[in-house]
Amino acid sequence: MGALLELEKLSRRYGTITALDNLSFSVPAGQVVGFLGPNGAGKTTTMRAVFGLTDLDAGTVKWDGAPVGQSERRRFGYMPEERGLYPAMLVGEQLEYLGRLHGMSAVDARSATTSWLERLGIEDRVRSKVDALSHGNQQRVQLAAALLHGPEVLILDEPLAGLDPTGIDAIGAVLVEQARSGCCVLFSSHQLDQVEDLCESVTIIDHGRLVVAGKVDDLARSGARRLVVRVEGDREALWAKGLPGVSVSEVTAGAVRLVLDDAVDSESVLRAAMAAGRVSEFVFRRRRLSEVFREALA
Amino acid sequence: MKQAVILIVVAAVLILRLRSRIKRRSGGQKPAWSGWGAVTSDVGLVAAREMRERFRGRIFRAGTLLVLAGVAAAIVIPTLDKGTPAPQKVDLVGTRSAQLRATVVSSAESVGTKVHFLSTSEETAYADLRSGRVDLAIIAGRELVVNKPIASTDTSTTAQFVLSLAQQLGVAEALAAAHLSPAQSSALASAGALPVRSLQPGAAKGAAHTTSLIGLILIFVMLTQYNTWTLIGVMEEKSSRVIEVLLATVRPIQLLTGKVLGIGLVAFAQASLIVVFALALAKSVGSDLLHGTAPVVVVSTLVWLLLGYAFYCWVYAAAGSLAQRQDQVQSLAFPLSLPIIFGYIMAITAIGSGSPSTLFRVLGYLPPTAPFAMPVLVGLGAVTWWEFVASALISVVCTVGVARLATSIYRRAILRTGARVKLRDVVSSAAR
Repeated sequence: MGALLELEKLSRRYGTITALDNLSFSVPAGQVVGFLGPNGAGKTTTMRAVFGLTDLDAGTVKWDGAPVGQSERRRFGYMPEERGLYPAMLVGEQLEYLGRLHGMSAVDARSATTSWLERLGIEDRVRSKVDALSHGNQQRVQLAAALLHGPEVLILDEPLAGLDPTGIDAIGAVLVEQARSGCCVLFSSHQLDQVEDLCESVTIIDHGRLVVAGKVDDLARSGARRLVVRVEGDREALWAKGLPGVSVSEVTAGAVRLVLDDAVDSESVLRAAMAAGRVSEFVFRRRRLSEVFREALA
Repeated sequence: MKQAVILIVVAAVLILRLRSRIKRRSGGQKPAWSGWGAVTSDVGLVAAREMRERFRGRIFRAGTLLVLAGVAAAIVIPTLDKGTPAPQKVDLVGTRSAQLRATVVSSAESVGTKVHFLSTSEETAYADLRSGRVDLAIIAGRELVVNKPIASTDTSTTAQFVLSLAQQLGVAEALAAAHLSPAQSSALASAGALPVRSLQPGAAKGAAHTTSLIGLILIFVMLTQYNTWTLIGVMEEKSSRVIEVLLATVRPIQLLTGKVLGIGLVAFAQASLIVVFALALAKSVGSDLLHGTAPVVVVSTLVWLLLGYAFYCWVYAAAGSLAQRQDQVQSLAFPLSLPIIFGYIMAITAIGSGSPSTLFRVLGYLPPTAPFAMPVLVGLGAVTWWEFVASALISVVCTVGVARLATSIYRRAILRTGARVKLRDVVSSAAR
């Protein structure tokens, strides 16, 4: 069994606000785990707690069975929500400096900087100042800073925010690659479609408490059945409204996504659809992560 | 000697107490980080980055050149009128005796100049004086005539020469009137003054005085500049949010120590460069900057520049951790600069008066004002070596206390974002 990042009974209050409420979950090595929750759920506080940036009222963070301290954190990589780099420092020198703070030799830090800048497609910006880069390229440099030293644990707070599809693909590929090489990857995002594509597991929290945790496949297969029905010429799907045990999840481009109670017979739904017009699509779908998320927080 | 022994014993007791307190607080356990090597390595890395970035900055380069130019001006300009003065041109009207000429030459030599004699009529001599062709006319060996009146405070070579000559000729005439033999006259004329011994050290004059003033300005400029850099540097790390990335790897105390150490080394390097430049220039142009007690004042200036920076840098760093934006820097820096300005003004006043007041002597023992007062007291010769050491020890002990307090404030405030952090909020969170 691989190493495990364990967060045990984390609690943190800011005055009257409870940011973390006895929160416990774990992240196994070799997996990309999505860390989800609405704004103010406590995701950033949790991630900061792993790096000792938030003083906890209670709870411990363990890596491979031992409490996380300064020497463990040197082997972790962190990308904070508010991107943090020296604006007037050269990209290459900045990365080398951060690599050395993680315990790398000067030679290794330089070599890793070159390698990661090439991997992320910004090797020509090595002599540029950070504030001269576009938002997307700054994001890439920030990611390189988290990856440079070959971390055992990678924690990224909203790494995909503000990126174009190409940037999302590039960073997503790196996260998956890191997990494949044995790294423990935890990242937060509000882009649930991307999370669903990238992650094997997700952890959803709200009000500082754990709501749902599990493998994306298991969560998708659980819960009520999802049925997508398309009736030609019917863009409103009025036929579906009022069917007993059936609720309309969404209507898009003439297709209606229905949620069926266990007792509902799908044939009765098909008959109702055929009565409304010619049925061109009638298919069961997995529960989407966005539905898991909404239902978990409902 | 007895006082020195007492000071050493007090210092040893303080160090032992400090060590035992640190041991007690840590419960005798090793710190959580991977070892002393990692700590010093992190501090060194942070300090090296600070130094590299500062040395590269245009502000640093331009500022250094500006200060060097100022120091050069302060050293070279006073020496410009100290070169070999032009010979004094003297019209002799009437009497041109060898004795008169010898007296004139002797007076000229006493003020470091030479004489060029001209023989002429009285009318021509007056015309020469008016046109500036000659400096002095001696009429019949008894009357000295110059173009403009000479004040007793006039320090020009001509004035010194004329006043000296007038005195010598007057004495010679008095001796002649007393009918003394030439040997008696010569013995009286060459009589020197008796030495006067004082119980107290004398007031600063000349070289040490000038060196004190230059050193004082250097300390003021550098403390203001480098402490403001520390404040802005901390504020920028906070506002750019790079602080989160850094503190995910290193401890606040390591980061802060590296920062103030790096900036301090830059300050000391710049100060050393200026001092070496000043000393080399002073030697090459024959300035009296190196004479008398001036070298001691130079060493004292460097020591107090270090001690002053060490004391203030922590305070400014803590203030920087409270700020969020550039526009908050001024309001945070102003109250911190008040003791610096006060110490500087008091020191300038003391140099001007040449005699330190009791208040100024007291300021020499207070760490916020000692960096200004103590080098000036050294320059004035108003302080003994053990008083100097005592003041330095007080400053070091207080710096340790200030550093601990500042680190505590920094640790609590540096990760707080949003509005400017109020000091009372930090203190109250520490109390909880």
